[in-house]
Amino acid sequence: MPILRLLITGTILSTALGASLAEAAGPLARHLQGGAVGGGGEYVVSSQVISDEVVGGTTEFVGDIASGNVVGGIPRTYGYPDLFYNNYTQGSANATNAQMYVSPVPTPPFVGHTFITYQPFLPEEMLYWHTNRYHNYYDGGRGMNHTKIHYYGPPVRTGVSNLYWNYLRIPR
Amino acid sequence: MKTHLTLLLAAVLTTGCLLATPVKAVDPHAVTQLWAMRHADQRPWHGNYYYMPYGHPTAVVVPPTAHMRQTYSWGVSQNLSYPLTHQYGRNASYPGALPPGSFLPTPAWPSHTDQFGLYYVRAPW
Repeated sequence: MPILRLLITGTILSTALGASLAEAAGPLARHLQGGAVGGGGEYVVSSQVISDEVVGGTTEFVGDIASGNVVGGIPRTYGYPDLFYNNYTQGSANATNAQMYVSPVPTPPFVGHTFITYQPFLPEEMLYWHTNRYHNYYDGGRGMNHTKIHYYGPPVRTGVSNLYWNYLRIPR
Repeated sequence: MKTHLTLLLAAVLTTGCLLATPVKAVDPHAVTQLWAMRHADQRPWHGNYYYMPYGHPTAVVVPPTAHMRQTYSWGVSQNLSYPLTHQYGRNASYPGALPPGSFLPTPAWPSHTDQFGLYYVRAPW
């Protein structure tokens, strides 16, 4: 099987309405907007308080998650489509079904899993030549991240590799 | 001169149309995908044997562009090709994994490649 290379041709980052984070509280938001609060001529369609700070809780270690880890704002949401979604065998004649991850061999639940959360790097995309586009909305739908990727394998190198692995290699 | 310009314009337009024609219009309505989906819907993706290290029939992910699978048998020799139509999908399917003992183990003297409990399923597009 040829190892397909990944080529990211371009990532277009477009932000609607200037994506002003004005009126957002919290040091992170203040850092992001770089002090340009408001901005002449811009207006905020909707504002929301986003905070990653841990508020409350019993311990003071960094990264601890208290109950209701974001207070005074909306919880951290993940974009559409999902962060990770498994795939399953389909069909009405199956006596049993299988999930695609963990691939190639599934493990019992107590073993644990690794999720690949960046969709362009999903391994099943690297199985064949194609082009895919990924969209991700952020900032409450005001911004869209658009990534177009060509998955391809170098033909000469793939051919040489196939020649070696299928014909020249001594099977053992 | 005018005739030459017209001919040139016609040539440019024709070339542009030819270049703009999508090369991959082999199956514009995805009929073969529909065939594969219906074919897969009427047959299980697995055989009667489980994969010994895992205890269940185990799906091997293959590229979605794969078309055929080949089985070998020895002892009574056999060599058959089957269409490979099963493909992973987003819908969570029922039933899940069956309890152990629902399938046969690989025989002590296997005589067919299906007896190892590994079955191909194509990855999603």
